Amino acid sequence: MALRIEIGQYYAANSPIHALDARAKLLCALAALVATFCVSSAAQLAAAAAFTFAVLVASHVPGGRALAAVRPLVVFLAVLSLFNLFFVQSGDVLASLGPLAITTGGIRAAVLYTARFALALVLGSLVLLTTTPTQLADAFDSLLSPLSRIGLPGHEIAMVFALMLRFVPTIADEASAIMDAQSLRGGAFDEGGPVRRIRSLVPVVVALLASGLRHADGLARALDARCYEGGAGRTHYHEQRLTHRDLTAAALTAVFVLALALLG
Amino acid sequence: MASQRDILVRLAHVSLFYEGGVTALDNVSLEVRRGERLCVLGANGSGKSTLASVICGLLSPDEGEVELVGERVCASGAPDLAAYRRARRSLGLVFQNPDDQIVTTVVEDDVAFGPENLGLPRDRIAERVARELHRVAMDDYAQADPSRLSGGQRQRVCIAGALAMEPAVLVLDEPASLLDVRGRSAILRVMGRLAAAGTTLVHVTHFMEEALEANRVIVMDHGRVALAGTPDEVFAQGEKIAELGLEVPFAARLSQSLGLPWTCDETALLDALCKRGPAPKTGTDPAPRKRGAAPLLHTPASNGLEQQGCASPLLKVEHVSFAYGRRGRALEDVSFEISPDTSTAIIGQTGSGKSTLLRLLCGLETPDEGRVIVSGNDTSRRRGRRAARGCVGYVMQHPERQLFAETVEKDVAFGPRNLGCAEEEVARRVTKALEIVGLAERCDVSPFKLSGGQRRLCALAGILAMEPAVLVLDEPTAGLDPRGRAMLRSVLANLRERGVTLIQVTHSMEDAARADRVIALDEARLVADGTPREVFSRESERRLTESGLGIPRALRVARELERRGWPPLGDPLTTDELVEMIRRDSPFISLGR
Repeated sequence: MALRIEIGQYYAANSPIHALDARAKLLCALAALVATFCVSSAAQLAAAAAFTFAVLVASHVPGGRALAAVRPLVVFLAVLSLFNLFFVQSGDVLASLGPLAITTGGIRAAVLYTARFALALVLGSLVLLTTTPTQLADAFDSLLSPLSRIGLPGHEIAMVFALMLRFVPTIADEASAIMDAQSLRGGAFDEGGPVRRIRSLVPVVVALLASGLRHADGLARALDARCYEGGAGRTHYHEQRLTHRDLTAAALTAVFVLALALLG
Repeated sequence: MASQRDILVRLAHVSLFYEGGVTALDNVSLEVRRGERLCVLGANGSGKSTLASVICGLLSPDEGEVELVGERVCASGAPDLAAYRRARRSLGLVFQNPDDQIVTTVVEDDVAFGPENLGLPRDRIAERVARELHRVAMDDYAQADPSRLSGGQRQRVCIAGALAMEPAVLVLDEPASLLDVRGRSAILRVMGRLAAAGTTLVHVTHFMEEALEANRVIVMDHGRVALAGTPDEVFAQGEKIAELGLEVPFAARLSQSLGLPWTCDETALLDALCKRGPAPKTGTDPAPRKRGAAPLLHTPASNGLEQQGCASPLLKVEHVSFAYGRRGRALEDVSFEISPDTSTAIIGQTGSGKSTLLRLLCGLETPDEGRVIVSGNDTSRRRGRRAARGCVGYVMQHPERQLFAETVEKDVAFGPRNLGCAEEEVARRVTKALEIVGLAERCDVSPFKLSGGQRRLCALAGILAMEPAVLVLDEPTAGLDPRGRAMLRSVLANLRERGVTLIQVTHSMEDAARADRVIALDEARLVADGTPREVFSRESERRLTESGLGIPRALRVARELERRGWPPLGDPLTTDELVEMIRRDSPFISLGR
């Protein structure tokens, strides 16, 4: 209850982004993500931000939900930006403190790299927010089908991925219940040195593993009972069909990628 | 004689052994006919769940023959895997925990999962999804995320998912045992509709009340079929049933202790009572008041509320409001006090704020407004919270899910060790806690090897080892079989004798009636607070019903009898009190025994 994990959880809405074919959505997202990671100038950053914003608006997902993906990584992003700030030594020196110097290049890198990473996270989470695990699994299944042809478990990978997304909130709720219960019995998660903290997590992990195994047992029983026997012979309730919508999305993504390339 | 084609399940001399020589099924033979509603009863560990797995083709026995939907899947212990696969396509299963059965995050997609696996074309899947969601009254939730639904709603999604595969037999393995009262009655309604529509049902449960509607009942014990027959035939053997670790239905218990002809139907019992009832007195007051009638009943004078003068309250909740994030209030302006050495029951529907209240009492959450004072410490301060945690022990729902150590002893010792107690002190506390819960002999066993009821007691011992002055419990008996519930109740009674203050959230009005005091919550607000007699009084009955809560069964029967013209029976809260009152008024009946 206290620890509500919102990353990767589907947000139901009726938007053009939701309506896209999951395969098209995944491929477009992949292209946009790669392009975003190549951002290296202010103009490109502005373009990437504009694109991300446009997708966000089109998806009808509230800004808070999309930003929730960035929140757990705020500390990481802050460290990343400090790292860039002090270790990128190019351009004019603005201020210096002993061996440390802040340069224009450092500021540029700190802002640019952190911002593009955050944008990429938002884009990625928008895919998960607008696509149900079933759709994702079906899309992966279809995209990975060349793998299955050469004998690799493409379908199974997709299914495992979908089930993982499904169980994230369940396990998170259990983890928070276990931690509450143990902290009431004197387990110290927020006290003492790092060694003590890590040791105090061992009982949590063990209890969580036990519950994971219980879920796995139950899930196996449920999958058997519902005649799940892998991808062969399975039909799909949701039709995967490329429409003009998907073409438009692909074209818009291509325009974005091209724009970034031209601005670079 | 039923024709061969009408026998959907046939088990002949089936035995099944688990590792370590555990006999789960011992020479079981049974048949299930088309359209039949079979109920399999038994305590935990009686083999009923294993039987369910065998019937729906998920487990193959070690000995005996199994025929499922016309496929001979197992002959003298040798399984025919291809036949099993064919048979499974016509067998559906729904079990205890809906969380483990839902595979995706959209209700509609989950219902479609089975038909997809059967390889049905899209339009037929869509047809079945719509039809089955309608059947379980979940049409409006087709696009919902199951993790945001209540347990009962999720379980209905699971049932729709199984029905969408159009099984010839639907096996339900304790489908309602983790649900609250409302969820359970919704599931039973759905089952009633399915039976009426001719679906073949095999229902596994340890609640005998749920078995009353079945065509046929079998009672399992130690892997064997101990009793079989119609519900009336089986339940008439009250003593045998109690021996097998089951609870006789309320009406049956009452009719037996009144010496009336045996019945498990409450209305029939009322009719029988009225027929033999007291000679109607002329001029009976049509709206009978309590005429101070009940010298047999204990007046509530010695209860907790009156003690407030002499003992300072242990817990004080002052105008507390609380909300999770921006969602609606979980609690709104709740105030009450708890005196030491009392027992309090908190009742209310799921979502009324009961669990939140418990989290506030033990300092896991702090109020947004108002204060929670635990033996003089305000929990809004860090130090106060720590003091509160030292004084309040909190037993969550399903505490056995938090067990982790290699042995019972080590798990129980976790708390005292964290407190930094010396080894002798740890040993003393562990021994005492295990003695209270009656697990002293099993201290070297892995907690995962215990039975469900024992596992919960082990988790309880872990909290008792902290030696709390107040024990706060969230539905301590939920999901346990009658034997487990009885064990837990006796441990709690023992703790009361030792002077531990108890606060428990419960769905059972019978449990609430046994407490010194009852607090009722509805939609985040406190709606009733007093002794059971006050809370369940005639004046507040309507209020409780509006909040979706009932009154104890004994009281309900008493009120119904009065409505049918009996002289006032006082307000009996337990079956024993009710029996006593009825006998006092009706000499005819007391002769019966």
